[in-house]
Amino acid sequence: MAPRVAIIGLASDFGCQVQVTNMEDHLLDVLGLMDLAYWQLASSGHLPEEYDVAVIEGAVTTADHVATLLKARETAAVVIAIGSCAVTGGIPALAGTVDYDARYGVVYGDGAAVARGRQVPKPVSSVIKVDYHVPGCPIDPTEFVTVLSRAIMGLKDDMPQDPMCAICKTQENVCFLDRGRACLGLVTRTGCTAKCVTLGRPCTGCRGISPEANIPAARLVYAEKGLDPLELDRLFDLYNAAREVVV
Amino acid sequence: MFFRVIDKERLPDLITGLGTEYEVIAPVEKDGRFVYAPVVDPAEVRLDYDTTLLPPKKWFFPAEETLMRFRVADNEVLDDEVFAAPRVLFGLHPCDINALLLMDNVFTGRYADPYYMRRREQTLLIGVSCTPSDTCFCNVWDTNEVHWGFDVFLTDMGDRYFASCRTVKGAEILDRFVENRTVSDEDTREFQRVVHDFKEAFDRTVDTTQLPVLLDAKFDSPIWDEFGEKCLSCGACSMVCPTCYCFDVHDRLEPDQKSGVRVRTWDSCQFKEFAAVAHGQNFRDTRASRVKYRYYHKQWGYLSKFERVLCVGCGRCARACPAGINPVNVIEALQTGEVR
Repeated sequence: MAPRVAIIGLASDFGCQVQVTNMEDHLLDVLGLMDLAYWQLASSGHLPEEYDVAVIEGAVTTADHVATLLKARETAAVVIAIGSCAVTGGIPALAGTVDYDARYGVVYGDGAAVARGRQVPKPVSSVIKVDYHVPGCPIDPTEFVTVLSRAIMGLKDDMPQDPMCAICKTQENVCFLDRGRACLGLVTRTGCTAKCVTLGRPCTGCRGISPEANIPAARLVYAEKGLDPLELDRLFDLYNAAREVVV
Repeated sequence: MFFRVIDKERLPDLITGLGTEYEVIAPVEKDGRFVYAPVVDPAEVRLDYDTTLLPPKKWFFPAEETLMRFRVADNEVLDDEVFAAPRVLFGLHPCDINALLLMDNVFTGRYADPYYMRRREQTLLIGVSCTPSDTCFCNVWDTNEVHWGFDVFLTDMGDRYFASCRTVKGAEILDRFVENRTVSDEDTREFQRVVHDFKEAFDRTVDTTQLPVLLDAKFDSPIWDEFGEKCLSCGACSMVCPTCYCFDVHDRLEPDQKSGVRVRTWDSCQFKEFAAVAHGQNFRDTRASRVKYRYYHKQWGYLSKFERVLCVGCGRCARACPAGINPVNVIEALQTGEVR
């Protein structure tokens, strides 16, 4: 029997769910592997009582999110977190780098409806155990399919662990650091073929901090290249404000 | 060996002529640095290049290649043929030709690698003399000279090239594609003068005295911890190294899960997973041990098997390592006990 899959969105822009729909050439193949029980973006139904695989997109920002996750963990045999928001807290977690309550007032004003149980945004793994991760902003749909099929076959999570420089070298990119420009590739989880650098932009760390990153050494590299060592930490805030390191 | 002289202004004819029968790969400029890339117009070729971002190994042992396709239902291998187009690698420096000879020891030896071999057999190598850059230390390993492993080697003599043809094929392509003449006594005298000057220009000194002994004697030296603290475990050194040959093999299923490909990708001994084995054991758990074994293998392990060190002093790792770790400062640290 095909596993029943539910795709659940928390706080995000749904971009990763859109990425899945963008796999036009392979979408039917992928859907053929599973019984899609619920897809928040593409259906108007409700989350069913039973499903086998929970695919979670988005950061945890409210008490409702926490409740949804606890229920999902209880219901599903397998939990997959997709996208930076779910994996590292992503851009929403930036809210935690300032006085969260004061900032909330600045953005929404005194009279704004206050989300029930609002809280500093955080990654899914800070609430429940996550079995598989698909990092990135947005996710690479091919990587999503690979992870989903590994999950369905019961293979272990095979998320790349090392920093990005090696794959960037194979693309024959001229190093941003050598040109005196800050880049997070030296501490960011590999697996994206260094797309941004190849397209001419420094890495911003959307795939999360590599568990193998040597951050003190990276700060020294920044200093050596004429950059402010703390620039590294400031750049982390964009996608890694929660400093979550997923192993 | 046959010798010919080619007027420098005629060299584009050779590139154009080769292009009618071969894919010609040569150094071209990319964002202020250089890469080996296919060329059509001889004007793109930059024989004044210092070094390339990636070494020529990528044309024989690509960063990622498909070894075979397979069908899941019946475990059938669908395609494991290696297609290699006739190719010329044009403009290789002596270090890079020497590096390919070191790779050959591994890929064409006892367990010959059909993928590497097929491309190697289909590729002609044309070398060119060079001048040292800031990061070169080839003279330390005597790899600033090359005596075999090429089809033609062009020594720059100002207005002309002294062409050494190591193979019959090399002499043939010269005769077919570019106006050339036989060597005069004056040409030979000039060649001797020029190659002496080239050799003199490479004057990097690195004390390699008893290096294998030092590696063993200083196995527990704190210098390795210091290098380990600096190392980013990023693997950049291995990628850009012309003699690093380690690889990983993965099976990737197509989205329909009915067929897949087995791919080989470059790997690095600096990655933690490199020495991870079943049951969660890891023989190189710390950065320090991984840096140490990189040098231990290059300067001692390979040497003990093939009588050469696994380094040609091209200096690519010295440029690529964000943390500034390179063979020169590692060897100096071994000699002096201090990491600079």
